[in-house]
Amino acid sequence: MLTALWHNIDYVASVVLFCIGLYVVIAKNNLIKKFLGLNIMETAVFAFIIALGVIEDGQPPIMTGDAHGPFASPLPQTLVLTGIVVAVSTTALALTLIIRVYRRFGTIEADELRELE
Amino acid sequence: MRRPIAISLAFLAAVPLLAGVAGLPVHGDPSAPVHTHVSARYIEHGVEEAGASNLVTGVLLNYRGLDAAGEVTVIFTALIAVLAVLTVASTRDADASNHDGRVRRSDADRRHPDHPVSPIVHFVVRLIAPFTALYAAYVILHGHVTPGGGFQGGAILGGLFIALTMVLGKERTRPLVRPVLAPWMQGAAVLTFAAVGAVGALLTGVYLGFPVDPSLRIVRDLMLIALEVGIALGGAAVLAMIFLQMEAS
Repeated sequence: MLTALWHNIDYVASVVLFCIGLYVVIAKNNLIKKFLGLNIMETAVFAFIIALGVIEDGQPPIMTGDAHGPFASPLPQTLVLTGIVVAVSTTALALTLIIRVYRRFGTIEADELRELE
Repeated sequence: MRRPIAISLAFLAAVPLLAGVAGLPVHGDPSAPVHTHVSARYIEHGVEEAGASNLVTGVLLNYRGLDAAGEVTVIFTALIAVLAVLTVASTRDADASNHDGRVRRSDADRRHPDHPVSPIVHFVVRLIAPFTALYAAYVILHGHVTPGGGFQGGAILGGLFIALTMVLGKERTRPLVRPVLAPWMQGAAVLTFAAVGAVGALLTGVYLGFPVDPSLRIVRDLMLIALEVGIALGGAAVLAMIFLQMEAS
């Protein structure tokens, strides 16, 4: 188990980053910080997917004249490109909603908002 | 109180994730499933089938063209949602703030104090702006041969617009976005996908199909470049509009 984890240390780094994001989402009180945590979690997932496509001694998957294999898998990179765009969209919408919450209640601290109910 | 719970939850979440990660094929192993299924085919036939030396662009716009079309719809929908939420909010919350007795932070408090931008930042942003624009154009138009593409170039363009707006003020950057053109720019990505998809349907019978015949290679290249430019303009316009809308509120 531990040797397997050591060989997959790149994936372990993504797991650590993901858990840091999860911690930020739960522990922080400020809504913007919570969404920063969510963005950290998204980044961890992207890093994990990109790391899956890596190949030993690989080249970037760009087929110019003198390029020779092995090539890194292009599919994970494409999927992550899609994911980043969706992450940007959700972040923009979340920030908009936070702006609206702040305008309505004058605070974006989660516990103060809970007291207002 | 909150912190120990959060830490223990994060560790709890790490256990199944680490167990799963330990069971994956070794990092970089050429026989891992990710390298032996569709990826192998993309690498072997991608250039002649998709028409882009950069396989990421080829996969994004050709093999997974519908996916990319959905993706640009997502950012466009995000823009619509941002506009809807903030526009409704600005009219209704103004009424609400008159009625509730709570002490709200005053408007002047919320708005940015009008301090001048540092002259160094001002100079540097203006200095690098033309080069950033050139770089963005290169990333967009060369995206099928080198790393880059519509989304990346669009993000650079949008970032440039936001930097200029923050430094020079809205009055100087407003002429860049003509009110007549703005909606078309924001919808550029979606519209380009619809147009190129229709061209593909005419040529191959499949929506967003790309001709593979060698004699039509120039058409296929033009379709790819049109998609890149459309995605870039649309992405940049959406980013800029989201920023302007948030700043205005």
